[in-house]
Amino acid sequence: MKSTPPSEPHLADIARSALAGARAGAGQTLAGWPVLLGRAVFYVLLLTVLTALWDKVSTEHLPGGLAGALPRQGLTLYVGVTEWVALSIPAIHLRLEDDIRGGALEAWLLRPKSYLVQRVAEACGGMVVRLAATGVAALLFLAASGRAWPPLEVLGLLVVVGPLAGVIGVLLLTLAGLSAFWARRTLPVMLVIQKMLFLLGGLFAPITLYPTWLARLGAFSPFAAHLYYPAVLTLQTAAGPGLRDMALAALASQIAWTLLLGGLIAVIWRAGVARVLRGEI
Amino acid sequence: MARLSLPALYARTARAAIAGSAADRANLTLQVFGMLINNGFMLTLWVLFFAGFHSVGGWRLRDMALLTGLIYAIAGVAGVAFGGYRDMAATILNGEIDALLTQPRPVLARLLSRDSLPIAWGDLGTGLAILIAFAGLTWRDLPALAFGWTCGLIVYLSAAVTFASLAFWVGGARSLARDLTDFMILMSTYPGSIYSGASRAIAYTLLPAGFVVLTPVAFLRRPSLESAAMEAAAVIVYAALAAGVFHFGLTRYRRGASPLGAG
Amino acid sequence: MPPVISVQALRKDFRYPRQGKGVAAAVRGVFAPDYQTVHAVDGISLQIGEAERVAIIGPNGAGKSTTLKMLSGVLEPSGGTATVFGLTPWRQRSALAYRIGVVFGQRSQLWAELPVRASFDLLGHIYDQRGPDAVARREDLIARFDLGPLLGQPVGRLSLGQRMRCEIAAALLHGPDLLFLDEPTIGLDITAKAAIRDFITQNAAGAGQTVVLTSHDTRDIELVCDRVIVINQGRIVVDQPTEQLRRQFLAHKLVTLHAPGRTVTLDLPGVTRRASEPHLAVFEIDTRLVRVEHAVAAALEGGGIEDITIEDPPMEEVIREIYASV
Repeated sequence: MKSTPPSEPHLADIARSALAGARAGAGQTLAGWPVLLGRAVFYVLLLTVLTALWDKVSTEHLPGGLAGALPRQGLTLYVGVTEWVALSIPAIHLRLEDDIRGGALEAWLLRPKSYLVQRVAEACGGMVVRLAATGVAALLFLAASGRAWPPLEVLGLLVVVGPLAGVIGVLLLTLAGLSAFWARRTLPVMLVIQKMLFLLGGLFAPITLYPTWLARLGAFSPFAAHLYYPAVLTLQTAAGPGLRDMALAALASQIAWTLLLGGLIAVIWRAGVARVLRGEI
Repeated sequence: MARLSLPALYARTARAAIAGSAADRANLTLQVFGMLINNGFMLTLWVLFFAGFHSVGGWRLRDMALLTGLIYAIAGVAGVAFGGYRDMAATILNGEIDALLTQPRPVLARLLSRDSLPIAWGDLGTGLAILIAFAGLTWRDLPALAFGWTCGLIVYLSAAVTFASLAFWVGGARSLARDLTDFMILMSTYPGSIYSGASRAIAYTLLPAGFVVLTPVAFLRRPSLESAAMEAAAVIVYAALAAGVFHFGLTRYRRGASPLGAG
Repeated sequence: MPPVISVQALRKDFRYPRQGKGVAAAVRGVFAPDYQTVHAVDGISLQIGEAERVAIIGPNGAGKSTTLKMLSGVLEPSGGTATVFGLTPWRQRSALAYRIGVVFGQRSQLWAELPVRASFDLLGHIYDQRGPDAVARREDLIARFDLGPLLGQPVGRLSLGQRMRCEIAAALLHGPDLLFLDEPTIGLDITAKAAIRDFITQNAAGAGQTVVLTSHDTRDIELVCDRVIVINQGRIVVDQPTEQLRRQFLAHKLVTLHAPGRTVTLDLPGVTRRASEPHLAVFEIDTRLVRVEHAVAAALEGGGIEDITIEDPPMEEVIREIYASV
């Protein structure tokens, strides 16, 4: 057999190393179980406060107010899902910032495996473990506070849509992390993303409660694919065409944004690595 | 030799910490403006919220503005003039109080004045701006505001010192103390009317958001001897608790029973 | 004259929770911790008189710092008694603080972001230093430690050696009669170490101060102190004048010779081969029999030497030797 250097790594190789990375990320997150527990406690506390807020709001139907527009069953489940996803994204941007600015990246570039695939896969692995832990906390919270769980169909959909939403979150933070190629700190980009999650992603309240133009803008943003679309599934009271349409909209938005963000990240990554190779950092 | 009073000495060391935090101008400016924008955004969200819902259990936008302005102003003064509270648990765990123990003045005062947080200026700025522009206060409210601000600040710092003092007992207290302090702030940034049952109990005991902002806000809206007395009592109780826990913790540390290394 | 420091059967025990592995052990540890006791200081008795300069030495974890912390009032002992200037340090901490100066080599007492001058001002207020005496003392220290050019610089930008000079001067601002130095030369390069030693000796000699320092560097002891107390595992192993200890235990140097040739030889009385590898040999020089310069000169005469290092034997070795002799 002739030994020619592989020109492009095979897709199967990439998938294999991504899987290994995800497994490593999941293992690390599990090993830090006290942190995981602390995160679940924080989640429950946040949910307690936010639920109390929305419960109070929905009991007051002031003339001219928006309270009438709130779903009858309240926003507990909606807020529960947005925070469930938002709190489960590992801080991959800080990892990238450290590696890019600390010089660890250069050593990685010498290895055959892609640094970026490895890091994103690790973050995704950690994200899935966090989703599981926080998800259990959410169900316990609902039971303890005497609230109904979402119907089984919705729970089933969340198991699919939740991790996808998490992937979009990881990709958004990866974008923030890649800004370290051009700026010393990723914090400014990170703050912008956080604000967008509130404004366009429905982190504070369903975007349908916002002015129409803002809601429309939000619906077509990756921020909604990350938080609003998975959360709004819980506002459907029963299985049926409504839920099916919602689920399809969520999946379509998530898949489209995963591909778009992935492509964007690949382009920015190339440009960033070129900067490193030119010695501009 | 004239001995400087403790407040005067505190003022000098705190001023030194502030000067130190301002040494890197670019960093200071960045952090202050970042915080201003961040806090301004949160206020905007509440403005949008109240534009839609008008009221939460009797709380309206100007009440929310008073609450937000007050907690930012409290966190601002705490961070600027008592900034050592933020990393106090880590300071204890690192054994950095040894040097302070060889010096003649009170250790707690030295710990609080050893640091000043640049972002706290941003909090203070937004807090004041919100109080002036949105809280619907008049000049006549000034004494009540000063009372509420001071009392809230003392309760906030006392709780934070109590949390940090856990470091004398627990090795992992660094993040625990920070988390508890952050939870307290989190609970202080929502309308008080939403708390009932267990969450209300927590807000008036473990994470005293109630005494940091809710009672002061109530007092500002409807000044009464009763709410003033309640707040004053809370100040005494929480300050005494903090002093007591810190004192016992320090005694324990000096006996060598704290979870720290020894040389 | 009563001694400055008087210590009887001083003890300090530390209790550590034994940490098991796994979640179950961690949970058990919270509710029913399993403690393990370490006798950091295990019955020490000593007296130190006025203007004495004493080194407390021993390997890491021997109990030197713990002893110093008890004598300066930071830690309470588990047993025994101690007085410093007639005060019980851990009970009369504040009163004692005015009479002692303490430097922890690994911790700064100065404000990192501010100029040295500002730290001196603040410490002046902390120790109630005002009036002509204080000003004169401060000026004198600045001159003696050669700090004039450093006063306007932020502490954080100083080199470690410069910073240490400032730390020691800062600890002397209130004119203490007793100076505790915990590892004052740790992390410094050879020149900086030498400078610090000079400052300590000159200052103590001039001011008639009592100095107690801990170190694991044998050179510190030789150059700064008249008396050495060796501590190991919380107990005093040796307490004798430096001169005597030096003659007995510090009379050796290790000389490492690197040569391109395969074998390295050095045949002199008082020189023994400790180890050799291809291109490298370590010799122990007994300085009572031959001077280091002579041994090195002899090695160079042979030719073909590429590199030479001269070191003191490691502290652990000296301690072992002391143990063997007791």
